[in-house]
Amino acid sequence: MTAPVWSPRPGARASQMADFARFASRETGRDLTAWPALHAFSIEDVGAFWSLLLAWSGVATEGSRAPALEGEGVEAARFFPHLRLSWAATLLAGPEGASLDAKALVAVDETGARRELTRGELGARVLALADALRARGVGAGDRVVALARNGAEAAIACLATAAIGAVWSSAAPDLGVDALVDRFGQLDPVLLFASTSLLHQGVATALAPRVAGIIDAVASIREVVWLDDGVAALAARPVEVSRLSALVADAPRADVAARVAALPRHPFAHPLFVLYSSGTTGRPKAIVHGTGGTLLEHVKEHRLHGDLRASDVLLFVTSTGWMMWPWLLSALAVGAAIVLVDGSVTYPDDDALWRVVEREGVTVLGTSPAYLGYCRDLGLSPGARATGLRAVMSTGSVLSEGLFHWVREHVGDVPLQSVSGGTDMLGCFVLGHPDLPVWPGEMQCVGLGFDLCAAAPDGTLARVGEGELVCASPFPSRPVAFVADADGARLHEAYYAQHPGVWTHGDLVELTARGTARIHGRSDGVLNVRGIRVGPAEIYRVVARFDEVAEAMALEQAAPAEPGGSRLVLLVVMRPGRALDRPLTLRMKKELRDRASMAHVPAVVAEVPELPTTWNGKRSERAARDALHGRPLQNLAALRNPACLAAIAEHPALKLDA
Amino acid sequence: MSLRQIVVEWLDDNYHFGEAASLIRDDEMSFLKNGILDSLGFVQLVLFLEKRLGIKIDRKQLSPKNFDGMGKILAFVAAVPGYTGPR
Repeated sequence: MTAPVWSPRPGARASQMADFARFASRETGRDLTAWPALHAFSIEDVGAFWSLLLAWSGVATEGSRAPALEGEGVEAARFFPHLRLSWAATLLAGPEGASLDAKALVAVDETGARRELTRGELGARVLALADALRARGVGAGDRVVALARNGAEAAIACLATAAIGAVWSSAAPDLGVDALVDRFGQLDPVLLFASTSLLHQGVATALAPRVAGIIDAVASIREVVWLDDGVAALAARPVEVSRLSALVADAPRADVAARVAALPRHPFAHPLFVLYSSGTTGRPKAIVHGTGGTLLEHVKEHRLHGDLRASDVLLFVTSTGWMMWPWLLSALAVGAAIVLVDGSVTYPDDDALWRVVEREGVTVLGTSPAYLGYCRDLGLSPGARATGLRAVMSTGSVLSEGLFHWVREHVGDVPLQSVSGGTDMLGCFVLGHPDLPVWPGEMQCVGLGFDLCAAAPDGTLARVGEGELVCASPFPSRPVAFVADADGARLHEAYYAQHPGVWTHGDLVELTARGTARIHGRSDGVLNVRGIRVGPAEIYRVVARFDEVAEAMALEQAAPAEPGGSRLVLLVVMRPGRALDRPLTLRMKKELRDRASMAHVPAVVAEVPELPTTWNGKRSERAARDALHGRPLQNLAALRNPACLAAIAEHPALKLDA
Repeated sequence: MSLRQIVVEWLDDNYHFGEAASLIRDDEMSFLKNGILDSLGFVQLVLFLEKRLGIKIDRKQLSPKNFDGMGKILAFVAAVPGYTGPR
């Protein structure tokens, strides 16, 4: 029988999870100290759970905590309608007694450059920039976008934007102009923050052309603020241009704590972030996340599931375009120091990231299956640099059992917390737990407050079993809206239509009898390659530029030998008289890299005579995926051209040993 | 096909899409330091060469010293005991 790969040590310090369970027991008069009882309480009395969490956390709020929940049902229920709070003020203040001289943030890049800010220095800069934004007419509800490297300046800009109640939306600088315009163009942003260059693997790429492309396409932008002092050759454009360094140059150091405390509080559902989720059709969904939901979910994940404390140093490898970036910033609320890493984590040496872990005294490292697999394949054994670690986290894609053992043997005797959630809920449904064992290949537990179920195709829900991941309880970090969806129809269609009465997430889950979970990939057409979520629609828009191609279908193919365990394949049907050859394949790949990103480039492009299509004209990704993986083909009668599946199943380029 | 062409084709298929040959200025040029290949790709290239050429490369030898550049790759592969494939 499989044994846990890690177990809590007897006599270890009491976790915050245990502290909260005692608090909840006292407040409710029930014994909630055992994990199953606590979790059951959190989904049976949803409003009471979140209200107790808020009280226990000490997050500063204004207004009434009652009611905790207004309205019925997973879709309609609204949390804390009479409460006001500030994500930025909570992060800048930190926990009670936090010193302004404590380390708040360390930003490092692949060149070895390092910048450290104390909580006081960070707060002073954020407050100064918030004043500068207000002076420029940016106010609550305005949208501010950023094309930003993962550095201190991006964090300052994000916090300042949130501090005044404006809405932040950032993208990683490796995204192409088309993909950027597809995102930012939906928001009517008033201001663009931008890094002057992208740094990767020793090569710096100027971002001014991309910034110019955004300005040309998004007329609402009034001002560009360069985040750093690098060379920025922006040809004449009808916008104001300034530098962040100038806007925060005279940031007064006095009274930071008092001025942070005086920052305005916003309604619980006040928009805080816009993140993007690209699907199989149309432009990426622009998902609006609210202030209270984001804050409360992150506080829960950090303090209860991660046992994160003020003594911790948290490094999570992320770009500014991923949902883990705001998640990382939120750790400031518990008083932890955060480490931002910019550029390649394997440059200039294979163990570059592990040297950062050692040098910065990182106690919790967040990374991905692709990176851990890379370390294993390379034969690294970084344990000597990781002696300060007390936990490793992994997310982005499925973590294989072998990597649990690799971490145990080569990193250290620390819990490996595989967590999974996503952009749609700005957090994680399945999480770690400081007082539970880690089983290889499994996520430790379902998060508090989530009534997670596996839905069968007929809609039957089960708390143990395999199926579509759904959540049958309302939770605060559901999106408050989609952009340009006034009646909420698209929001409803995205999460609440497939299985009425519950949230449908788009993942396949296995919930075990011991309360752990495994994620088995996406249940919809969204691709997750090397931990990066890729929307096929963005690929199709680029491929549509090629006259030779009649239609295309992007699929994720399980490929255990690849980093992250899968690869992106693109099936193309050529127009009559045209054939797919190597030069055309390379041109398509190059166009995808330049217009979208490297993550959008398929490993294989394969010509097929037809794509599987239903009788009502809809292409069937599911049938193509089943054929690609050699799985039994289901419901062939629904297809008008089932014979085409053989060409996919037998295509030599799609064989993993090709 | 020569070993050099095999490497260039792989770089084109996965990273440079037709521009690899023009980016590699000479055999001494570091792939890692000049944006030709990142470390993740470096491991993938070596795994590809193992499979394509039917050779086994000891992970202890999987270092930039042996593989970071066209000249190093050509020399290392040619020196694999019993190797009779393309050069």
